[in-house]
Amino acid sequence: MRKLFSLVEKEVKDLLRDPRIYIGLVVPVVLMPLLGFLMSTSMSHSIEAGAKGLKIAVLDCDKTALSNALLNLSMSLGADVKRIDAADLDTAVGEARKLGSNALLVIRKGFENDLVNFRRASVEVYVVMESMSLGSMGAYTAVEGVLALSSKFFSNMLISKLNPSISPDVVRDPFNISARSILKDKIIEVPPQMLFNQLLMGYSIMIPLLLLMLSITVVQFAATATAVENEEKTLETLLTFPVTRYDILLAKLLGSSILAVIGSILFTGGFVLYFNNMLSLSGFNFPVKDVSQLLPPPPPESFILLAVSLLLAILFVTSLGVAIGALSSDVRMANSLLGVVIVPIMIPSFLMMYGDLDTLPLALQLLVYALPTSYPIMIAKDMTMTPISFETIIGIPYSAALTVLVLYATSMLLAPEKLLTVQYGLRLRGARRRQIKELDNQSTLG
Amino acid sequence: MMGAGSIVVVRNLVKRFGDLTAVNGVSLKIEEGEVFGLIGPNGAGKTTILRIMATLLLPTSGYVNILGYDAVKEASRIRPYISYLAEDAGTYRNLSGREYLSIVSRIYFDSNTEASMAVEEAVRISGLGERVDDKMKTYSKGMKRRLQVARALMTRPRLAILDEPTAGLDVFHAKHIREVVSRHVKEGGTVVLSSHNMLEVEYLCTRVAFIHRGRVLFVGEAKAIIKELGVSNLEEAFIEVAGR
Repeated sequence: MRKLFSLVEKEVKDLLRDPRIYIGLVVPVVLMPLLGFLMSTSMSHSIEAGAKGLKIAVLDCDKTALSNALLNLSMSLGADVKRIDAADLDTAVGEARKLGSNALLVIRKGFENDLVNFRRASVEVYVVMESMSLGSMGAYTAVEGVLALSSKFFSNMLISKLNPSISPDVVRDPFNISARSILKDKIIEVPPQMLFNQLLMGYSIMIPLLLLMLSITVVQFAATATAVENEEKTLETLLTFPVTRYDILLAKLLGSSILAVIGSILFTGGFVLYFNNMLSLSGFNFPVKDVSQLLPPPPPESFILLAVSLLLAILFVTSLGVAIGALSSDVRMANSLLGVVIVPIMIPSFLMMYGDLDTLPLALQLLVYALPTSYPIMIAKDMTMTPISFETIIGIPYSAALTVLVLYATSMLLAPEKLLTVQYGLRLRGARRRQIKELDNQSTLG
Repeated sequence: MMGAGSIVVVRNLVKRFGDLTAVNGVSLKIEEGEVFGLIGPNGAGKTTILRIMATLLLPTSGYVNILGYDAVKEASRIRPYISYLAEDAGTYRNLSGREYLSIVSRIYFDSNTEASMAVEEAVRISGLGERVDDKMKTYSKGMKRRLQVARALMTRPRLAILDEPTAGLDVFHAKHIREVVSRHVKEGGTVVLSSHNMLEVEYLCTRVAFIHRGRVLFVGEAKAIIKELGVSNLEEAFIEVAGR
C-alpha cells in the first residue's frame, strides 16, 4: 500500500498543480454563477425597461362611457395612454409609431353594447416589436397585465349587477381544484405539475448532467495524467520501478477519480449558483416546495446499486482514459483521441435526459444498454419513480465484466514491452503516412 | 548458468521491431563491481540492450540474466535491485525535486528513516542545494539530468543502468557525475552505461563493448584495445574495429 499511496500522491499533486487541470476545476465555480448573474440582470433589466415606460396608443371606435372607463383604468394602472383618431388600422398603426407607443389598443365599435348585454366585447392589441429582445416581451406582458386587471374589474361589475349577493370570484372560478400525485401507489400532497417540474429538473436533467460531467472530467484527467508521462518522458522510468503495472494503473485511476470528484463538486456548486441566480428572476418564480421530502424514500438497495454502478462507470471511463493517454505521445494527441470516447459516453446521457428509454429505436436502446456509464443514470431515474427494472439490475454484472475486461486490457498496455512496441508502431505508421503524403505532394508539384 | 561474479549475463540476444533488427546476437557478461561501457553510433542498439536489461523490453530471442534472475520470467524480482536512467528521462513539471525524490524513495524503501536518508543522499549527489525545493519545471536541462542521476543512484542499486548519464551536462557537472558514479562502484555497486563521449568511457569504464549495427564487435579493457590496435584513443579504436 505504501508504494500505491506514493504513486497516488504523485498523480494528485502533479495533476492538481497543472494549470490545464486546476483552471478547468476552478472556472465553473466562478464562471457559472457570474454567467447566471449577468443573464438574470440583463433579462430583468430588459423586462423592467419594457414595462416601465409603457406607452399605449388607443383607437377608441366605440367612444362610450365604458370604453372611456377602460382607458381611465389603464391610466390608473400606470400606463401612459394616448388616445388617437384614425380612419383605419394602418393609419392608427402609423400614429401609434409616431407617438413612440409600445402597443396599440383597438376598442371596436359595440364594446359597451356587448358588455351590457353580457356578450364578450372585442379589444385588439398590436405590440410594436422593436427588437427580438425581452424588452418587447416585457411590453406585451405589461399590456396583458393591464387588460387582465381591467377584464376582472368589468366582470366584477357585471356579476354584481346581475346579483349583488354572490361573490364574483365563485362565478368566475367555481371549482376549488386541489391536485395530488400518486407515486409508487402512495398519494403525495403535491400537484403533478410541481412534482414533474422538480423531478424532471432533478432526476432527468441534473443527475444525468452531473454524471456526464463526472465521466468526461475523469476520462480527461486520466488521459492527461498518462499522456503527460509520455510527453515529459517519465513513463519509461516509472515502469522500471519495483511496482506492478496494476499499482501504476490503480494510482492513475484513483488520482484522476479524486480530482474528478473535486471537479464535479465544484461544477455542481457553480451550477446550483447559476440556477439560483436565474430563478431569482421575477417571472421565473414558481412555488418551490421540497418535493423530495414528501416522496417515499427509495429502497436502500437502490443506493447500493447506484454506488456500485457509479463506481463501475468511473473505473470504466478512467481506464479508457489511461489507455488513450498511454497510446498518445503528448497531451494534444490524447485530447484529439478523447473525442472517440467522449461522444459515445455523451449520446446515451442525452438520450436519457430528454426521453424515455423504452420509446427509443432498438439500435439506440442497445447503445444505451451497452455502456456502463448509462446504468447510474437509469438507476437514479428509476429509484424515485418506479422499481428498478430487470434490465438495469442485469446491467450491473455486465458492466462489471466489461469494466474488468477494459481494466485488464489497459493494464496489459502498461506492460513496457507492449507500450513501447505499440508506440513504436504508431510512430512508424505516422512517419510512413507523412512520407506518402510528401511523395504525393512532390508528384503533384512535379 | 551465470559466470562466477557475473552480475549480468547476455547470451545470443536478438531484438526485432517489425522488420528492423535492433540487436542481433549479442553476448556479454558484466562482472560485479565494474563499470561497463557500451560504445557505438546512434542506432547501434545500445539503448535497446540497456532497456532489455532494465526489464522494459522483452528479447525476441536469446537469454538475459540479471543478478541471478531471468530477465523475462523474473522481471519483478530484478526491479528492486536495479535502477535505470533513460537517455531522455524527463521530470514531473509540477513536483519539486525533493517531492519527486521522496516519492521514489518511499517506493524503494519500507522504512521512513531509510527513505529520508536516501533523499538526503540524492540531494547531495544532485548538487541542487536549495533549488531542490523548487518545481522541476523551473530546472535547466542540466539540473534535471543531475536530479535523475541522483534518483538512479540514491536507492543504492546493485546494478545501475545509465543511458548517456552526462548528456546535456556542462564539463563541471559531467565531472561531478563521473565522480559520483566512481564512488558508487567503490561502495559496492555495478554500473553499465552507454555514452557517446569516448573520453568519458575511457576514464570511467573498467571494460567496454563496441556495438555496431546490433552486433558486438569487441569486448575488453579500453586500454588493451588501444594498445593492441596501436591507436591513440578509444574513438580511433572504434573506427578501426568498425571499419574491418
